[in-house]
Amino acid sequence: MKQSISLKSSRKVKKALAMTSIAITALGFTHSASAEETLSLYNWGEYINPEVLQRFTEETGIKVKLDTYSSNEEMLAKLQAGATGYDIVFPSVHMQDIMAKLNLLEKTNINQYSGFKHIDKNFLNAESDPNGEYCLPYAWGTVGILYNKKLVPELNSWADFFALPNDGKNIAMLDDMREVISVGLITDGKSVNTTNRDDLKAAQDYIIKQKHNVSAFTYDSIPMVQSGDIAAAQWYVGSMLYVFQNPDDLAYVIPKEGATMYQEDMCVLKSAPNKVNAKKFLEFFTQPEIAALNTKQQTNGTMNTEAVKLLPDSLRNNPSINPPAEVKAKLQLFKELGKGIKLYDRAWTKIRTS
Amino acid sequence: MNPLNLSRKQLALITLLTPTSLFLLIFFIGPMLIMLTYSFLEPGLYGGVEWHFYHWNYGRVLGWADGIYEEFDPVYLKILLRSIGLSVATVLCTLFICYPVAFWVSTLSAKNKALCIFLMTLPFFASMVVRLYAWVLILRNSGFANQFLEATGLITEPLNLMFSGTAVIIGMVYIFIPFMFLPIYSSVEKLDKNLLQASEDLGATPFTTFRRVVFPLTLPGIVAGCILVFIPSLGNFVVPDLLGGAKVLMIGNMIEQQFLYARNWPFGATLSMVIIFMMMIILSIYLYKSTKKQAGL
Repeated sequence: MKQSISLKSSRKVKKALAMTSIAITALGFTHSASAEETLSLYNWGEYINPEVLQRFTEETGIKVKLDTYSSNEEMLAKLQAGATGYDIVFPSVHMQDIMAKLNLLEKTNINQYSGFKHIDKNFLNAESDPNGEYCLPYAWGTVGILYNKKLVPELNSWADFFALPNDGKNIAMLDDMREVISVGLITDGKSVNTTNRDDLKAAQDYIIKQKHNVSAFTYDSIPMVQSGDIAAAQWYVGSMLYVFQNPDDLAYVIPKEGATMYQEDMCVLKSAPNKVNAKKFLEFFTQPEIAALNTKQQTNGTMNTEAVKLLPDSLRNNPSINPPAEVKAKLQLFKELGKGIKLYDRAWTKIRTS
Repeated sequence: MNPLNLSRKQLALITLLTPTSLFLLIFFIGPMLIMLTYSFLEPGLYGGVEWHFYHWNYGRVLGWADGIYEEFDPVYLKILLRSIGLSVATVLCTLFICYPVAFWVSTLSAKNKALCIFLMTLPFFASMVVRLYAWVLILRNSGFANQFLEATGLITEPLNLMFSGTAVIIGMVYIFIPFMFLPIYSSVEKLDKNLLQASEDLGATPFTTFRRVVFPLTLPGIVAGCILVFIPSLGNFVVPDLLGGAKVLMIGNMIEQQFLYARNWPFGATLSMVIIFMMMIILSIYLYKSTKKQAGL
């Protein structure tokens, strides 16, 4: 998710652009069709290895167009506003369930394809798609803590993280309603999908208590952790890319209290103009070497069991990227909450105004 | 000649007014009506709206609970007041910077004046987001501002300038300075220097001249500048996000949160309508006052 750090400013730019394009699509603007074979992907920023797309074009002759978004909600809002022309989207599991309920997804029967045997069936996490008839599990990872080793020699837990400001060190969290509230829920030992008012109230109070110590809620923390302005920041496992570039200064850890995990699936839209090509791309991506090619660049997890075997040792045996079973057991995936989202909205508003 | 028997003048009027009216209808009245309608509908479970009349939205702005999910808490009024406070601070800062500068620029030679105006509008050529990221580099702990202050020995520990209300105001002042400068400059430029001479000849002190002559004559520019700065800063959500670290919540951020993360389009529309109504009241007062003044002349 949100690996868009190399373009540090990209999120806001994209947000501004997205707002404009929502307006344009709402006016009935659609992508013009062309005679040559094409495929339109609508993905998170920097969330697919460009080499994968290149290989696909080389093998099939199908040209790939890539548009990006910075949040599930932005993608859904754009589709709800009437955007057409996209073939494949990459929703998180809980967003996939919403999209299934809104009847936006096309049944692909990708599970009938021979390559589907490589997919770890434990990752068929979407409630709307327990057998993989619709979407192909794409990638997964954790949301932990990235820290600057020059300022913080060792960090293992959320408790350590929130203790840093006492030594005058700055910390940052994500600008994400559910990720932030989840930290409060996890430290209390609660489910990150709870709709119990008391649990949420406790998590809200916990975060509010920490708020004056949190320097910022932002997606742009990587450069500030690199420069030492921020000592530690809640971030995605994709930051391992920067850890590999600079292993003496940076480290990423899954806190011992537990963490959230994310999983995105590759789904074909009902409104897709190139459904045949879209299906071809899903099939193409079941190949272990292709999935491995993607994972090597993304430094996150793949659900393709054969692809895992092809990964370099530094990725495959890295406890932050491919955590051992007992750590995996403490990872929680977001579920769709229906009306319960109102409780989170209220808690997040209170956190931000306190 | 024509079926409706219109005179040439009427025809010309219709031809001239139709494009503007259509433009306003499609791009102003239409969206406003959509938003007004949405603000009285029930939020859809996954975004969008349910087409039922829903009366909770406006009460919720004032703090009453939305169904069973909340208790009474005027949290949105608090956000609105804070946004107004930050916007007023922005207006005052830009005013105090631009007013003297406008007088200085008006004393320059024609060539230098043109250069100053050009420099003032130059930032519009770069994206606002990119320029705000430059402020991140300036304000952060290891940034230029702190490096400079440490080099001069004024401080020993870096100041926490980023992610605060101050940073948000600095960012907004920076963004909106041209909107304040240009209207003030145009009224200062028009100021007849002979009037100042006359005032002095009649024995007025410089302060009296300012209070009785300069200030009233430049007031239209000041008011126009204040409105042009106040309105966009009240709805701004990019600056508080980037420089405020999302800790300084403004009403614009709240609207964004409602439309995207809370999936509550009607409440987002309601908050937007509240801002629009406030703006309309301010603009109506301004228009009423300025037309009355013109009529009085």
